[in-house]
Amino acid sequence: MFAYAARRILATIPLLIVATLGLFALESSVRDPVAELRVSCPRCDQVAFDRLIDLYDLDKPVLDLSNPAESRYVAWLGNVITGDFGSSTSQGENPVSDTVFTRAKNTMILAIPAFFVIASLATFLGVFSAVRQYSKTDYAITGLSFLGIAMPTFFFGLFLQVFWGIWFHDWFGMRPFFTSQMHDDSFVDLLKSITLPIVTLTLVVVATESRFIRASMLEVVHSDYIRTARAKGLSERKVIFKHALRNAMIPVVTIWALDFSALLGGSVVTESIFSWPGLGPLLLTAIFAADVNMVMAIILLISVLAIGFNLIADLLYGVLDPRIRIS
Amino acid sequence: MTEPVISFDDLSVSFPTDDGMVRAVRNVSFDVEPGEVMAVVGESGSGKSVTALAAMRLHPGSAEITGEIRFGGRDLLGIGEKEMRRVRGNGIAMIFQDPMTALNPVMKVGAQIAEMVLIHDDVSKKEAWTRAADLLESVGVPEPGRRVKQYPHEFSGGMRQRAMIAMAIANGPDLLIADEPTTALDVTIQAQVLEVMKTAQEATGAAILLITHDLGVVAGIADRVVVMYGGRVFESGSADQVFYRSQNPYTRGLMSSIPRLDAPKGERLIPIPGTPPNVLNPPSGCAFGPRCTFASDSCHESHAELMSVGFDGTHRSRCHKLAELPDLFAAAETR
Amino acid sequence: MPNTAIDLHQLEAEGLSIKPKSFGRQTWERFRRHRLAMIAFVILVLLISSFWIVPILSPYGVREINIQDAAQGVSWKHPFGTDPLGRDLMTRTMEGAQVSIYIAAVVALISTAIGTFLGALAGYFGKWVDALVNQMINLILVVPALVVLLVVGIKFGGSVNQVAFLVALISWITIARIVRGLFFQLKEADFVQAARAAGAGPGRIIFRHILPNAMGPVLVQITLVSGAAIILESTLSFLGLGVTPPDTSLGTLIAESKGFIDVTPSRVLIPGSILTLLVLCLNFLGDGLRDALDPATRKTRQ
Repeated sequence: MFAYAARRILATIPLLIVATLGLFALESSVRDPVAELRVSCPRCDQVAFDRLIDLYDLDKPVLDLSNPAESRYVAWLGNVITGDFGSSTSQGENPVSDTVFTRAKNTMILAIPAFFVIASLATFLGVFSAVRQYSKTDYAITGLSFLGIAMPTFFFGLFLQVFWGIWFHDWFGMRPFFTSQMHDDSFVDLLKSITLPIVTLTLVVVATESRFIRASMLEVVHSDYIRTARAKGLSERKVIFKHALRNAMIPVVTIWALDFSALLGGSVVTESIFSWPGLGPLLLTAIFAADVNMVMAIILLISVLAIGFNLIADLLYGVLDPRIRIS
Repeated sequence: MTEPVISFDDLSVSFPTDDGMVRAVRNVSFDVEPGEVMAVVGESGSGKSVTALAAMRLHPGSAEITGEIRFGGRDLLGIGEKEMRRVRGNGIAMIFQDPMTALNPVMKVGAQIAEMVLIHDDVSKKEAWTRAADLLESVGVPEPGRRVKQYPHEFSGGMRQRAMIAMAIANGPDLLIADEPTTALDVTIQAQVLEVMKTAQEATGAAILLITHDLGVVAGIADRVVVMYGGRVFESGSADQVFYRSQNPYTRGLMSSIPRLDAPKGERLIPIPGTPPNVLNPPSGCAFGPRCTFASDSCHESHAELMSVGFDGTHRSRCHKLAELPDLFAAAETR
Repeated sequence: MPNTAIDLHQLEAEGLSIKPKSFGRQTWERFRRHRLAMIAFVILVLLISSFWIVPILSPYGVREINIQDAAQGVSWKHPFGTDPLGRDLMTRTMEGAQVSIYIAAVVALISTAIGTFLGALAGYFGKWVDALVNQMINLILVVPALVVLLVVGIKFGGSVNQVAFLVALISWITIARIVRGLFFQLKEADFVQAARAAGAGPGRIIFRHILPNAMGPVLVQITLVSGAAIILESTLSFLGLGVTPPDTSLGTLIAESKGFIDVTPSRVLIPGSILTLLVLCLNFLGDGLRDALDPATRKTRQ
């Protein structure tokens, strides 16, 4: 199993390098930060410029546009391997890694509860829908999940703001959430400020996942071994929860891993709409500001999360399904 | 006369589909006596499997079902779900067609057999596992102590079917329903599995209701035979009566379409012409009429009743031409 | 012979058609039975045609500024309200919806072409071709689609056609995967083996024998990809990295209205609802098509 994991990780490294190289080349060629500095400060003299250039590391090989993109990328990669993600040109003087770390913590405050809501709700709805196939409840759940899939996340988030913020005045308090105040805020305040973002994050994913679980469950429920389980005289509850669910959930694990890694990587849309200081808005501002070090650090984090959770999903698959032995 | 283990009385099962009602089983009646092997023979679509599933009440929920299935002094179609669950696996156990898919792939074989014990018997988990290993041994699975801890995919097809049989006899049922138990297996394995079923029957004293399309399987093991076609019983009687003194054109057709080792040299196989009846739109008269060499106009108008052949009432057949059949068969043979 | 013709008619009248119905006809009949998909189809047609008809009938021009009527809510004069420049939002919304539909269509076209081509190559030839296409697919899966689009969008985004092309760059993957899987199955099918035995070359086998059989699932995917493209485009535009003014899409409209959400929520709710309805109809349509094209899935439902 360890050898398998190592092999898998080695196989994804070239992919990761190609993906980050492409994005690095694109991102770092969007704007010339030195030229922009000159525009932003028309009255600065050369000394001031040099200080700014030094402050933002614009003379280091990573950001110096007089170097070709490949060599800038190699320089960046070299720094990253030694743990140096460089400094930000848009987020003050803190090293990129510090900012990303703080923002990642904020994102986790949303992502972890959101994941548990998603996993439990989707399982409940999917299983219920499958067990009561073609009942009114099944049709209702199916209809709602179609609606959830069709509704763009940003629209759902805005809709929630209209609904709870305007029509039902300030049940949740729409004000931005400041991490510096987190220690003063009570748990109830925190709960109030994370509820709507979590509901927004949840909707689309629950809709897709419950459809998936329903389909997976239906396939299992109609299989021969479920008939065997019924023929044994097991109660319907046990047939569903002991025999069917375990089989139906095997393919779901992969979906969960992917969704969880996506949540941990931050949601650009949801976090921006609710002004949540997570990774999503950070990435968005960094992209607009052509903050190469910041953008690349976040992208690297997101990719590593995706690859890592995918691997975990594969390993779990082997644990859950005795027919698959990972070697 | 002893009380039958199970008796089907005027059983009818219909399924609603997009294209109309499918009447899968039509007014089927027959008994299974204690300790005997009763074979239900028919092609696919004859209603034999639906009849078996109805006895376990495992037919699709949308089915409309009338008649009675009497087992242990009550009508299985009239009892509550909870009471029915006590019958399943305990009074009546079932062996399914495809052992490759009938076992839960993520549960150890021992756990699946032990579960059967635990549902109906108040024993410890450990005891149930010991019984599981004993049961596996009794159906001829070598090294049962090691095998109980394996998963179904580590078993061969024949071994899986043995495990299914072990599971089925775990609680000493009165009736064992085997739905095409050998169809999915290799020919060499088929004989072994039938042997195991016979041994298991002798050990538990259970009656067997064997559902099959394979007359070769029936010949070796059955005491009595019911032949079904188009959802109806076409002929019933002892294995000897149905095999050697059949009074039904369909059964005869079925016999002469299978190869036999004891057939006289030069005898040819005669396939039944045509295809089984359309379940949605069955022929108006006798279901076999369109394929029957002896059919006349009356056969296409109405279906015949099941009539006694001979004097003791044990041999019954459904045919408009029952009286003329001996002559017709003789004429056909000399031709 | 006139006699036979009459006989055929009689048989047909009794529901005993001798000529088997063509696959296309069977599919159409099954699709019509799928009531929800049929309703979705009708709504979709009405909706899309209204996007082009309403601006023609509207008394206001798309860019017609009218300061007296600025920033109004819903009224008889302006059913969708007006923006801060007094432009009629109904006309602008329809204009934006046209752009969204146009982008969805372009994305569907490009991603079907690329996806079918690469999927077919990978599935038919296997080996290194498959490995290469697979790596291309995995490459995009390493980084989430939206993130890639954001980074690429800031360099190449802006105009309607650019955005359509960007979204297509991501969308072909779904189609490629489906086509690849189908080709893997179908290349071993008996009729393909027969064609091969008859001496048909790979080009003929791919285009004449396998592709027609793969078109059904591809058609289903096209509807779903169009829906996803509408969502992706509007999300990009909402974040300011998709269609940017003076061009307008439904996402742009919502983006420019979100600051006024507490004053005139209708400016967000109306285009958002149209967006949702469009995607909903496309998805129902895809679902109905899937059932109609694959009788097996319907059967297992019973």
